[in-house]
Amino acid sequence: MRRAGGQAAGGGGELSSAGSARTDRLPTARSWSGAPDRASAALLSVWTLPPPPGAWPKSLWLDFLRKATPEASQLSNRTFGSAPAPTVSKLEDRSDFNDEIINEPLKHSDFFNVKELFSVTSLFNARVHLGHKAGCRHRFMEPYIFGNRLGQDIIDLEQTAAHLQLALNFMAHVAYRKGIILFVSRNRQFTHLIENTARDCGEYAHTRYFKGGLFTNASLLFGPGVRLPDLIIFLHTLNNIFEPHVAVRDAAKMNIPTVGVVDTNCNPCLITYPIPGNDDSPPSVHLFCSLFQTTITRAKEKRRRVETLYRLQGLQAAKR
Amino acid sequence: MAVSRVETVGSVFSRTRGLIRAGVLKEKPLWLDIYKAFPPLREPVFQRARLRYGKAKAEIQDIFYHEDRIRVKFYSAYGSGQKPFDLFNPNFQSTCQRFVEKYIELQELGETDEEKLFVDAGKALLAEGVILRRRGKAKTVSWKYEHTSLKPQTQLEENQPQQVLQEQRSETHEEQLKGLSPP
Repeated sequence: MRRAGGQAAGGGGELSSAGSARTDRLPTARSWSGAPDRASAALLSVWTLPPPPGAWPKSLWLDFLRKATPEASQLSNRTFGSAPAPTVSKLEDRSDFNDEIINEPLKHSDFFNVKELFSVTSLFNARVHLGHKAGCRHRFMEPYIFGNRLGQDIIDLEQTAAHLQLALNFMAHVAYRKGIILFVSRNRQFTHLIENTARDCGEYAHTRYFKGGLFTNASLLFGPGVRLPDLIIFLHTLNNIFEPHVAVRDAAKMNIPTVGVVDTNCNPCLITYPIPGNDDSPPSVHLFCSLFQTTITRAKEKRRRVETLYRLQGLQAAKR
Repeated sequence: MAVSRVETVGSVFSRTRGLIRAGVLKEKPLWLDIYKAFPPLREPVFQRARLRYGKAKAEIQDIFYHEDRIRVKFYSAYGSGQKPFDLFNPNFQSTCQRFVEKYIELQELGETDEEKLFVDAGKALLAEGVILRRRGKAKTVSWKYEHTSLKPQTQLEENQPQQVLQEQRSETHEEQLKGLSPP
């Protein structure tokens, strides 16, 4: 579904990955294609089967998960169903693969060269330094604030640059290791932009009403053996009543690391990699979205290249 | 998968590391190695937001420039700029900004008297074609307002604030009678 035949409909929420080593659930034979072992086929079959009686109506499911259309999922089911299981799972089980490919990027300080994507000047031009009025200031944002200009807080862009570099680097590494990334925001002005960004990355977004227990009660809402996101990115940490978004606390509960753009009225405590910056102006949010999209795409592209190179090397070695 | 759901105790990292050491969590999560290699600048530990008591205040400095003194004089004399601010243009210079630049130029040439600099900068702008309209009363009157008791020019100023105050009081009285909340 995520990388299904080029139709990357970046649906929101979590998927069940039956074939991954992370879950306890065995691959099921519930697939229309007749290929019981392939993870993706079983994956798709869960969403294209009619819902059991008593569950939510299908329209609600689709709204909730932000998939493109039911037809698209059925099409992708067809494309996956015919192909047999590729040798990807075998490749990942080898230990030297692990060392060379997965651990290698950690040894460099900036493997994906995220520093070149932004500068303090570009942040300034995108109005990232503008905070709210002094009365809205959150106590824990004080270290990140440079000063107060005639009542308006100005965020220290030197600190923002450092935090942004760490956050982008972390994001890139998670994407490189094929982690699931979820974009969360509750600001209605940028809902469309964020969903498009997520879809273009090939990742997920949840910019609608956050149902309680989505992470903490996931096995009940989605079924047993759900894979939760490996990283959550908050474009807006507050919800529409200026309270911290429930997902911040829930991610901390479920031990999921978070990256978040924190404005001067937000609480940065529970966010693993906060990025102090403006989350209200359109140029600022557009800049952040483009930065996130570029890093994630770059990291995935790198991973694809490294894997092909590795496979080619393996073939060459086998020939000799 | 074993999870520790106590978000108030330590950071996400410390809890997961603890679970792995104890042997409860068998598989390492994806992000643990990345966090170890690139930790954030501050460990994301939960903190309770406590109120400040007494005279304790935030240590955030106000941002003021030397040009602000010149801007104060300009705005008190001429009111808000004749030309509207064009915020779409990143290199836009308002009337006030041009005035400030002229003022600084003249200051660097060696002048020291503030009033003279002010007048000269105004003249220089007039020469460029920018017309500056004085706001209401002249600024010299407002400066001497504190020292004098009765002057024909200042009497007008005295009456106006009194009238304004009286109007405000009558307004609030009316609103209270009508039962409306004050703005």
